[in-house]
Amino acid sequence: MRLYECADIIRSKNAGPFTLTIDLFFGDEERYSIAKGSMLLTVAGVAQAYGVEESRVKGVYFDDRIRAAKVSLLRWSSSADPFCADMFGAHLHTPLADGELVPALSKGVPA
Amino acid sequence: MSRPVRILGFVNHIAPVPDIEDEIRQAFEWGVDVVVAQGTGSDWGPYWLGSGEQVSANQAANVEPYVRAALQHGVPFVFSFGIAGADVHLETCLRSFDEMCERNGWSPEVGVVRSEIGKDYLAAAVADGPPVVPCSEGAGHQPLTLADVADAERVVALIGPEPVQELLGRGVDGVITGRALDIGLFMALPMMRGIPTAVAAHAGKLLECGGLALEPGDSGRSIWASLDETGFEVRSPSKQARASVRSLVSHTFYERAHPTLEENPGGALDLSQATYHETATGIRCAGAQWHEAPYTLLLEGARREGFRAVTLLGVREPELLRQARTWTDAAEREVRSAPRFAAHVAAGRLRISTRIFGLDAVLGELEPNRAITGHEAGVLVDVVADNEELAREVAYFAFIRLFIGPYPGRKTTAGNAAAPIMPVVIPVSDVYTFSIYHLLPLADPLEPFRLSVERFPRAGAVKEEAAHAAV
Repeated sequence: MRLYECADIIRSKNAGPFTLTIDLFFGDEERYSIAKGSMLLTVAGVAQAYGVEESRVKGVYFDDRIRAAKVSLLRWSSSADPFCADMFGAHLHTPLADGELVPALSKGVPA
Repeated sequence: MSRPVRILGFVNHIAPVPDIEDEIRQAFEWGVDVVVAQGTGSDWGPYWLGSGEQVSANQAANVEPYVRAALQHGVPFVFSFGIAGADVHLETCLRSFDEMCERNGWSPEVGVVRSEIGKDYLAAAVADGPPVVPCSEGAGHQPLTLADVADAERVVALIGPEPVQELLGRGVDGVITGRALDIGLFMALPMMRGIPTAVAAHAGKLLECGGLALEPGDSGRSIWASLDETGFEVRSPSKQARASVRSLVSHTFYERAHPTLEENPGGALDLSQATYHETATGIRCAGAQWHEAPYTLLLEGARREGFRAVTLLGVREPELLRQARTWTDAAEREVRSAPRFAAHVAAGRLRISTRIFGLDAVLGELEPNRAITGHEAGVLVDVVADNEELAREVAYFAFIRLFIGPYPGRKTTAGNAAAPIMPVVIPVSDVYTFSIYHLLPLADPLEPFRLSVERFPRAGAVKEEAAHAAV
C-alpha cells in the first residue's frame, strides 16, 4: 500500500519559510501501525523519497493518541527563493505520499 | 489561588463566518476576560515585508463584531495587525480601525506596539552586541552583518508578551501590535493575572488559529478557553463545531517542525507530557512544561532581489508536447547567449526560470514523471532582472523565441503556441527574499520597540482620508 492510500489526511505546510512539515492522520489502528512500522516513515525513508541528504530531514514523529505522524524537512526551495514554486508549501507531499509502505524490521513493534 | 482567565480567540486576517455574533454571545455568556486574535505571519513569503504592500484582508472589518463585544463588556482586546507587520502595514490597518471606530461612534484608548526594528538600532546591536545568529539552518544564512542590515528594506521582530503586558498594565481598552509572536498575544494577560507561563503558552498554541483547532476546523470561527493554575478547558462557542482531543492535539502539530517542542522568547514550550481529557463541556488540557532559556526575538528582514516579468503560453500541439522541455531549454539558451543579455546574466542581474504546468511546475527536479501525459500544457516564463525594463525585454525575447523557434518535426510554422494574455509580457512586481531570519538576544524585551497609547479614531486620521478621497 502507498502512504497516499493509507492516510486519511495529508497536511503539507511551511513551518516558517525554510522548513516543510507534513502531518499525516490515519483512520484506524491497523493503518496507523502499517505506516508507523514502515521504512518510508524513517529519516532515511523520507530522505530517499525527496532525494535529499538525511541531514536535511529534521525528524519523523508519531503520536499514538491521535494516530498521527509528522515529517519535517528543510525546504529545497523556500519561500525566500525568487523562483519558489509553492509559497505555502501546501503541495509538496506527493513524493512522500507516493512511497510504498514496506515494513522496516529494525524499527521493531510500534510503542 | 488566582482566578481563572477566560480567552476568546480568533484569527483577524480571515473573515468571520456569517453566524459569528452567535459565537461571540455564547462566549460572553461563559465569561470573557480578554479577546485575542493574531493577524501577522511570514507564510505569505517575503514580498509583503519588502514592498510595504498589504495583503487585502481588511483586518479592521474582521475584528469589528469582536471589538463591539469587548467594549460593551469592558474587557480588553489584543490584536496583531498587518500580515508582514512592519510600521507601514500596521498603519494601513490602523487607518481602517480609525474609520471603523468613527463609523460606530467608539472612542477606545488603544496601546500600540510598533515592532519594526530601526536599522540604526539593529546595526548597533550587530556592531556591539552578542552575535545575531541564523534561526534556520536551511536558509544558508550566516551571523548577521552590517551589510545585511543595510541591504534590508525592512526588519521586524516577533514581539513576545512583554510589550503587550506593559500597555495592558496602563489600563487601555485594547492593544494592537505589528508583527508579533502569535502565542505571546494570548500569553500576555493570563501571565499578568498569575497563570503559569507553561499553561499560558500551551493555551496560546491551541487558540492562535481560532476555530481551526476545532472539528471541523475553520479559522473563520472562534475558540474559547478558561485558564487556571494547572491547565485550561477549551470549548467551541459555535454549535456547528466542537473541541475534541483529536482536533486539539492535531492542532499542536500545525505549521510546527516539532510536534511537542517549540522555542519561544525566553524559553521553550514542552508538550511531551501534555494531557487532554474530555469533560462535560469541552476538553481539559494540562501537563505543559516551560524550560527557561535566554531571551531572544526572531527577526525577519526582506531584501530586494529584482523585478519580475512573466509571459504565459498554452501548448496543445501533440508534437510540441512531446518535446516541450527541449523547446523551452532552447529558448532559455537563446536568451542567455544573446549579446544584449550576456553581460547581465554573467553579473547575476538576470535570472530566468521556465515552468511547464502539466509536466513539472510544482515539484521541479523532484517530479518523477518525465513526460507530459495530458493533452495540453502551460508554459510560464519567469524572469527576475535588476530592473523592470530589462525584465520586460527578456520576457518578450523569450516569448518570441518560444513562439517562432523551430523544433524537430514542426508543422506549426505560423506560431508554436497559444497566447492567452495580451500584452504577452506581464510586469509583476519587485521581488524580495528573506535575507534576515535571525535571533536577536535581548536583555530588555521592550527595548527596540515604540509603545504608545492612542485614542481612536486618531485626531485627523479619518478627516485626512476623506480629504484625500475628495481629491
